[in-house]
Amino acid sequence: MPEPTKIFLDARELEHPAPLERAIAAIRELGNGNYFYMIHRKNPIPLIELAKEQGFTVFSKEDSDGIWHVLITRDKSLTLEALCNV
Amino acid sequence: MFSQNGLSLDQAPPISVVFRFFLSGSLFGVLTGAFVLYFGSDIFNADSTKALIVTHTLTLGVMLSFMLGALFQMLPVIAGIKLTSPVKKANLVQYPLVLGILSLLSAFYSGEPALFISASLLLGVTILGIASIMLKNLLALPNHSNSSKGMTIALGSLILLTLFALYLTGTLSGFFEGTFYGQIKTAHYSFGLFGWIALLIISISFQVIEMFYVTPPYPDFIGKSLPMRLFGLLLIGLVFGFFFANIWRIVDLFIIVFMLCYALMTLRRLSQRKRPIADATVWLWRLGMVLLVLSMAAMLTTRFYTLPPLNSLNYIFFAGFALSIVFAMFYKIVPFLTWFHLNAQGYFTAPMMHEVIHPKTAMKHLYIHLATLTAFLVSVYYAPVIYLAGSLLILSFGWMLWQIVHAWKLYIHTQKTGEKFEMTMPEVEG
Repeated sequence: MPEPTKIFLDARELEHPAPLERAIAAIRELGNGNYFYMIHRKNPIPLIELAKEQGFTVFSKEDSDGIWHVLITRDKSLTLEALCNV
Repeated sequence: MFSQNGLSLDQAPPISVVFRFFLSGSLFGVLTGAFVLYFGSDIFNADSTKALIVTHTLTLGVMLSFMLGALFQMLPVIAGIKLTSPVKKANLVQYPLVLGILSLLSAFYSGEPALFISASLLLGVTILGIASIMLKNLLALPNHSNSSKGMTIALGSLILLTLFALYLTGTLSGFFEGTFYGQIKTAHYSFGLFGWIALLIISISFQVIEMFYVTPPYPDFIGKSLPMRLFGLLLIGLVFGFFFANIWRIVDLFIIVFMLCYALMTLRRLSQRKRPIADATVWLWRLGMVLLVLSMAAMLTTRFYTLPPLNSLNYIFFAGFALSIVFAMFYKIVPFLTWFHLNAQGYFTAPMMHEVIHPKTAMKHLYIHLATLTAFLVSVYYAPVIYLAGSLLILSFGWMLWQIVHAWKLYIHTQKTGEKFEMTMPEVEG
């Protein structure tokens, strides 16, 4: 099975509401075999809820520096927890 | 609009709840401009009925409307509070509020006791009712952020200043003798300007400046303790003011120091943003803070010198400060809410935020606002310019009115014609 493609967004220094707007635009382009990976200064509840509402699988975890890693995919075969770098 | 975690879908109030308050706030803004045109530079005579009418149109009609709309939006976000039946509550607040304000303005103009009584009933029940509900929810929070703590105190101030207002209108309608009219009047506007308007802005900024604009946090002496100290000072003024009228001179000096510390720190924080580009909302925050500094400088000077124009300048600076922040929040909230609700409903064709209100449109409003402030300042020295100031004020709020109507039309249009996001999951191969 080929490696899934990571679509990455570093939103740590983006001002509100750019992280949410860019993330929504990115996840709409997702298909099989790829996933969205965002790092952010907070856990983006609106993004997570919007993504879940629209049928995506979501995983988020905070690292030891307080940075949140948020992974989103439409591909049910991907295990997001295993793809998270925390 | 987001707290540490943000706005969750089930907590977000319907878009109409926020928009309706912004709409009535803008309409009262247009009315304020019309009053300025009608009354001319008499509005700068602080003891006149005309000044009283313009001040209350601005503080109750414009600011309270915008602040209630923002609170309906921000309480779920900042404090995780979900107000039950928000549409019903908004209706129960907005209609009596509008009627109460119109009744109060008519009462000021005519001196008719019956109008004072109807204004007291409508405004008293409405403001005390909604402020108590919000306060009760905030007090029940197990953990407070600096923002939610500040909001709690600001709402406490709103309740107190409303009670003072009821005493004042009760006196004007002949209900009370008014033995303490002077003391209560001083407490009413002090709690109104600093305990409510300034403190609510300060509390919201603890969240907004750090999060929207990605700045370092406020130091503890501002973030943690300023709201309580400010409220404590106002209480000292209130209690001791019954015995020593001069206590307010001392209290005001401390308030000036607190406000200056806050405004200068906010300007510093805005200069520490990670992104160098500033949009209209950043400039509005900067303008608001500069005006607050100027207002405090004017207030300080009036404590030592009797210079009549300084009182008028202080009035313009403080109103300019509060309106600048209201405008800054407006240009963040309206595009975001429109975009957020449409996305939450799954509309693939939802307009982007810059399509709801283009950044250039917000920038144009900033120029109109600057021109309005300049015209008001010039009119203190050259009275005929007041008519230009009044016209610009109407244009400024008319501009906002158009943005709300435009956003609402886009929202409805997308709901009627928009494509929904594909919810079904594709089959995964292998």
